[in-house]
Amino acid sequence: MKPNQAIIHLEKVVKVYQGLAGEVRALKGVDLSVVAGEYVVITGKSGSGKTTLINMISGLDQSTAGKIWVGGAKLEQMNQEETCQWRLSHVGVVFQTFELLPTLTVVQNVMLPMDFADVAPISEHRERAMQLLEKMEIADHADKFPSAVSGGQQQRIAIARALANDPPIILADEPTGSLDSVTTGVMLDIFEGLVEQGKTVVLVTHDNDIASRAPRTLVLSDGEFIDEKSRL
Amino acid sequence: MMRTRWYKIRNDLLTDKTRTFLIILSIAIGLIAVGTIVSARAVLSTEIQRSYVAISPSNGTIRTAELFENDFVNSVRRIDGVHEADARRLLTVRCQTQPGEWKTINIYVVDDYEKIRLNKIFPNEGAFPPPEREILIERAAMQVLNIAIGDTIKIEMPNGKTRKLTVSGTVHDMSQMPAQIDNTPYGYISFETLKWFGQSYGFNELNIATENPEDANFVQWVNSEVKNHAERSGMTPSLALIAEPGQLPLDDLLNAILLLMGFLGFLSLMMSAVLIINTVTAMLAQQRRQIGILKAIGATTRQLLEMYLVMVCCYGAAALIISIPVSIAASRALSQFLAKMFNFDLMHFSIPLTSILIQVITGLLVPVLASLTPFLNMLKVSAVQAMNAFGNIKSVSSKSWIDRTISGSKLWFARFVLFRPQLLSIRNLFRSKQRLLFTLITLVLGGGIFISVFSTQSSIERTLDDFVKWYNFDVMVNLQRPYRTQEIEHAGMQIQEVKHIEFWKMLPSRMVRSDKSETTTINMIVVRTNTPNAPSPTITEGRWLLPDDENAIIISSTFARDENIHLGDWITLKIDGDDQSFRVVGVSLGIAAPMAYTNFSYISRITDEVNQADAVLISLKNPAALQKETVNQIERHFKDKGFQVYSVITMQDETAEAYNLFGVITSLLLIMAVLLALVGGLGLMGTMGINVLERTREIGVMRAIGASNRNVSNVFIMEGMVIGLISWLFGALLAIPLMFLLNSGIGLALIGAPLNYAYSFQGVLGWLALVLALSALASFIPARNASKLTVREVLSYE
Repeated sequence: MKPNQAIIHLEKVVKVYQGLAGEVRALKGVDLSVVAGEYVVITGKSGSGKTTLINMISGLDQSTAGKIWVGGAKLEQMNQEETCQWRLSHVGVVFQTFELLPTLTVVQNVMLPMDFADVAPISEHRERAMQLLEKMEIADHADKFPSAVSGGQQQRIAIARALANDPPIILADEPTGSLDSVTTGVMLDIFEGLVEQGKTVVLVTHDNDIASRAPRTLVLSDGEFIDEKSRL
Repeated sequence: MMRTRWYKIRNDLLTDKTRTFLIILSIAIGLIAVGTIVSARAVLSTEIQRSYVAISPSNGTIRTAELFENDFVNSVRRIDGVHEADARRLLTVRCQTQPGEWKTINIYVVDDYEKIRLNKIFPNEGAFPPPEREILIERAAMQVLNIAIGDTIKIEMPNGKTRKLTVSGTVHDMSQMPAQIDNTPYGYISFETLKWFGQSYGFNELNIATENPEDANFVQWVNSEVKNHAERSGMTPSLALIAEPGQLPLDDLLNAILLLMGFLGFLSLMMSAVLIINTVTAMLAQQRRQIGILKAIGATTRQLLEMYLVMVCCYGAAALIISIPVSIAASRALSQFLAKMFNFDLMHFSIPLTSILIQVITGLLVPVLASLTPFLNMLKVSAVQAMNAFGNIKSVSSKSWIDRTISGSKLWFARFVLFRPQLLSIRNLFRSKQRLLFTLITLVLGGGIFISVFSTQSSIERTLDDFVKWYNFDVMVNLQRPYRTQEIEHAGMQIQEVKHIEFWKMLPSRMVRSDKSETTTINMIVVRTNTPNAPSPTITEGRWLLPDDENAIIISSTFARDENIHLGDWITLKIDGDDQSFRVVGVSLGIAAPMAYTNFSYISRITDEVNQADAVLISLKNPAALQKETVNQIERHFKDKGFQVYSVITMQDETAEAYNLFGVITSLLLIMAVLLALVGGLGLMGTMGINVLERTREIGVMRAIGASNRNVSNVFIMEGMVIGLISWLFGALLAIPLMFLLNSGIGLALIGAPLNYAYSFQGVLGWLALVLALSALASFIPARNASKLTVREVLSYE
């Protein structure tokens, strides 16, 4: 049975960018509620505001207006420093371009968030990281550099890193955008596995095939939700 | 076990070795320049003093027309205030090292070389003390005389007697001016050898050291007492020299050099700091994306600041590991070069703590401070903005006037003149305006210094040209005593090569100050002003002498500076034992020794030597054909006519002596110019290298859309050269005030007046060539390396 409290709640969230051609309203008063343990896919065309929405939820960027509650924290009231610290233990972010640090090995990339969180002793970091890599079936490559492994493997590393501090929420921005279809399938299995473990997963994609696998899909267009499908 | 964040820093430093090397090099180069100059300056100022103190220097010297012996010396030692006294014999004679080539040489004769009490002479090589019938030469003079130990030279005494002496060794006599500077060699013989020349025993130079040497007034008083004692003893002091406390023979030159080094050291420190700021800012800009990722993962500001400050400190520390030993070696080399110039030994070479501290502070603190502002600015940017280097909507501003100027229709002419890649170069330059500014500052400073140094060199040459041009004669014959000018002229005009003859009287005198103390000997030249060929020196204030002038006097700028005399002042000179008053009507350009000029007719009257002169200035019909044989012929002719010739000098020799004095300065200027050009150039290489590295992906994109390796290289080379060109322009402008500062500083220190300004267009063109070459090279090498990578490799480059 899944928890029924909203772990993510957005209320009339607006994001406006100042661009060369003037103002760009990437989000036009978006409302969203996600219950703990839910798997939600947000889909839409390029420029619909998907990445902006993920950035709002993760605290990677700040909204222009509206309320954002994530994991019990009011993000619109937090400054960058506070959201950084909050993000360490509440959110794991997976990016389309993996964003691994090239000068750290695979296992060091996964250990890095543990280092910043400074919760467990340093001596335990590697063991914990190796456990995560084993779950992602990539432990054999632990001491290689990211450039030495494939795109799919890099994305697994990124997911392992996102899980480093055992956050309750996983946010993924086009995680399969750089991958082939076989690897995409594997990635989606991983995300579904995380949901079964009790994580809340919000995934944005432009790929409708991916959206069709999710129990709940929201369609974003021009900064507004225009449709919602539920397969419960 | 190390935290993972430190592995990131360590790996960042070790993975991209080229980038790390460039950053460390950029920092190290500036530190080396600063460390070298500061250390060498400190070593020079302390060691030369230490070497000088070791000789037990006198602070007063009196030369007498008559000889005296040890009784007189002992009586001087008993005078109140005299700490020590010592005596020697000085003869100014001629020596022949090559057939037909005679040179004036000062020979000292000492009773016991191993028991000298003041102005000690130390053995350098070969025999010591001088064996009988042999001579020792001051080591700096060996080069001037162009001889070696074992050679034989012929010495001609004032009485005409000549002897051949074997040079059996060299000595180090630091109380004399280095021969390579004033072109005057010194030799040392024994009294037995002097007797062999038919000269009698006796001293004519008394050196004294007073008690309380730091008290200038006391020193002067004691010297006056000694001089008076000499006069009471029936002697005629012909020369009196008093040294200021701690004054060295080359004090003016040394002060000028220390000033120059201080000035250039400060400028190189500024250059170094700007270079470091630019390098660190560029390095941080490259890390922007990774900082965004770290923020996305959850790193706090404090954690990020800690990481990157450690990284910056690592660069600084690595640069110090290179710069400290290199600057020690370079400053040792520079100090040894200057020690050789000043003819002293580096007894100790210890790097002053100040030099190390300055390097450490510059190497560690400046990068840290430099990184704070850009780093804190970067932290203000959101994680997603930092990660998204190309997608940041706010990152490109159209509001900048620079961007508007170089965009779109403004460059309509480009379609006719430039190719697209060159447009790209110009626009690329202004993408990071701050980095461009700091790169330019470094180069402009380097260029400004380079050009100003060359301009100062030109100014020195122009000043010296002005100084020597008044010697508009070719040969000067100094006679042992005054002769009637009519006789001299009659004899001189019999020489076929002679075009015309002018006369001077050389009248050493001393100025009597208001407190009755006397100055050192002033070289007073008594000149005729009513003849068409009468030479006159460059006047910096007031006027030259007029034919009707009675007690008017012109003094040299160094004399005016040292004694604080101004135009219009009345001064008292002691001439032949009598006090005479003169009014200063002009100040002339002077170098080194104090000089004065008075009217021939007036001095003739007051000295009762009407129409008599002891210096003959000869202008030749064909000066270009002046040979040593001509000089010998002139000397022989006057001797044959019964004149007692003291010495014969050519203007070529006098000019060379003047240039030699400045030779140290010009050599040092050149070294500094090269060093600072190197700092600027290598700094540019470092910055351009980093520029190329951080645009490696851009290179990949260009190649992916069809640009050839040459196209890519050309874009960066053009960028580098445009930076070089802009810096050259501003550097040429900056050189003007820098040149004024240098000219004033060096001129006032050396000659009591600013140098004559001469802007060196040669330096301007030289810097242009150098900076364009450096810019092209700085861009070409990293661009070529980047273009060698495959497109796939560069597109995946982080």
